[in-house]
Amino acid sequence: MNDQRPEDAPKGIYGPDGEPIFFSEPGVDRMMAVIMNLASELWVLTEAGLPADADRDAAAKAFIDRVFAPLREPQ
Amino acid sequence: MTVILQHAMKPEPTAEEAARGRFVSAIRGFILNDLAADLNQAYHRRAVPRYRAAHGRDPASSGDAHKAMRGDPAFNIYSAMRVQAQKMVWASVADGVARDAARLEAFAADSDVELKPGFVPPRNASAIDVHLMPGSYTGGTGLAAGATYDRGLAIFSMGLMGANLDDIGLSMAAYIQHRFPDYAPQRMLDIGCTIGHNSLPWKQAFPNAELIATDVAAPGLRYGAARARLQGVDARFVQMASDALDLPDASVDLVFSSMFLHELPKKVRAKTLAEAHRVLRPGGLMLHMELPPNGQMAPFEAFYLDWDSYYNNEPYYKGYRDEDPRALCVGGGFAAADYFQFVVPSIGIYGADAVAAAATSDAAHSVGAETTGRLAEGVMWFGYGAWKR
Repeated sequence: MNDQRPEDAPKGIYGPDGEPIFFSEPGVDRMMAVIMNLASELWVLTEAGLPADADRDAAAKAFIDRVFAPLREPQ
Repeated sequence: MTVILQHAMKPEPTAEEAARGRFVSAIRGFILNDLAADLNQAYHRRAVPRYRAAHGRDPASSGDAHKAMRGDPAFNIYSAMRVQAQKMVWASVADGVARDAARLEAFAADSDVELKPGFVPPRNASAIDVHLMPGSYTGGTGLAAGATYDRGLAIFSMGLMGANLDDIGLSMAAYIQHRFPDYAPQRMLDIGCTIGHNSLPWKQAFPNAELIATDVAAPGLRYGAARARLQGVDARFVQMASDALDLPDASVDLVFSSMFLHELPKKVRAKTLAEAHRVLRPGGLMLHMELPPNGQMAPFEAFYLDWDSYYNNEPYYKGYRDEDPRALCVGGGFAAADYFQFVVPSIGIYGADAVAAAATSDAAHSVGAETTGRLAEGVMWFGYGAWKR
């Protein structure tokens, strides 16, 4: 068994670089990472502009809920 | 929720680092609560009907549920985001840990830790970037791996493990005190303690007992020893392997572990339980906080927790969860009749009264319920153990 992987890992769930593949277009997995990095950097700028007494945790949650809303399943 | 660590070695992040950490905690909350709910919905709405049409039956196991979910948009989104969020946990603390190297070493200089000369950590702690933590438990220089774990866990846990990252230890110790009020250990051992965050609550629960926190990885032990000293907790931090304890037969009253057994290869795990039996005195207790077993969970709930085995560099996770905890204890030398298991509410979320109620009533939270073993809103911890007679 590869040290990194469980014995019963289904075939084809990892790419040639060893990273897991989720989307049928492998570039999309990397694009998701880019989107999350960008969102993080945008949050850094957003938080810097908050007043000192702002609830930063609540603001971060609201930011993420707003930015990533299109990913949610239809209810 | 942002966690501020409760000891002098806590990070002093720049404003940007603090913001990045907050973002990672918050996105993990989104993934593990909102996208997880979507995953569940997609499983029932789409994956099960698809699987049934293809196989003539519903998914019957974690493996079936995994196959059913692969390729579903909800699975792809949840999984891709969760992998990236995990990498961001460690990335968000890396600069601060590197910057603090000298300060951390200064704290550790006054702390006692018992390292074994020439000890080579096993591959499961050194060769795998466990939970995608770069360098695993032994990489980097000095105390870096210990500090990375402490600071990373504060972000990873979203406040659900407590301000001192000790909710598991606090909840477990409180449960045992309520359920077995005559139990009075004099010598307690935590195996695979990492930085001792769940070891210290046992000293708080039993202040007259000796506490020995053990692990194979030196950076975590050195960091943990300083962390404990700075919090005024008297504990020994000793380097030893759980499957070859440097302790005499019948020399301790408690062998405890938290989120540890699933990181061991099967043979090492079996030997670990046998070692626990060996070192326990008659009347002593072996207790493990772990992920609930697949055999007691429905396919989706089982698969949901098995996800880490395939995608979070936890290769032994599923193999462990496929084992029966009672059988594991019996294999270690404990009698089946002395096995018990339980689900305890997080003491930080639900309060001490809820823990006492769980310990003293017949009402039992289901092992297979949605919040058992999941780091999400309403977390409940699964534990099991056996008495040595």
